[in-house]
Amino acid sequence: MANTQAICKSFRVDLLNGIHAFGTTVTRGGTSADSFKMALYLTTATINADTGAYTATGELAATGNYTAGGNAVTNGNAPSNSGGTGIVAFWTPSASVTWSNLTSSGSFDCALLYNDTNASDKAVAAFTFGTQSVTSGNFSLTMPTNDLSTGLIRIS
Amino acid sequence: MAHVLTTKGLIERAELEVNDIITEEENARVFATEWRHNGELVRRDVNVNILAGVQLAGEQETM
Repeated sequence: MANTQAICKSFRVDLLNGIHAFGTTVTRGGTSADSFKMALYLTTATINADTGAYTATGELAATGNYTAGGNAVTNGNAPSNSGGTGIVAFWTPSASVTWSNLTSSGSFDCALLYNDTNASDKAVAAFTFGTQSVTSGNFSLTMPTNDLSTGLIRIS
Repeated sequence: MAHVLTTKGLIERAELEVNDIITEEENARVFATEWRHNGELVRRDVNVNILAGVQLAGEQETM
């Protein structure tokens, strides 16, 4: 046998599960998975990699059946990993995020995934999808296949 | 007769002109359905298929 320097495969999934804290962390209320939400943003907003937490600035107005803060994400998938040398940890919501009978307050092109359990509503990722508007209709974000190549959140 | 909920309330399906629009974005495929009554847009539905999520690329497993 020989020893090999490496990032352990389990570490990536552990990151998604909040197992390690190399810096100051938070007191968790339990061992359950956190609750996540997706909020929708107008094309005039500035949501990007520098967005550290959910913000109401630039969000769709709370009219036309849109609620400030967005809608809950269904989390029925535990983070997992696959792959050989190039192993990837991944996680994807287990259902689409939908808004019914929505009339958007303006054109929008972005959804922010954030941690609703966290006291600061820490951001996870922003997703853009081109300029959209919805009038008395339904809006849905259908999630990609939950695997190492298309999962919504992947760590390689 | 089926009815569709619109900005003008329930309208009979047969009275509505429907157009499906499919567009390709960088990382999403978007399906929009526009419903018009006498030429006026009275309902618009959108379904965004996210084709792939985002990836945080770190160091190689073997350094």
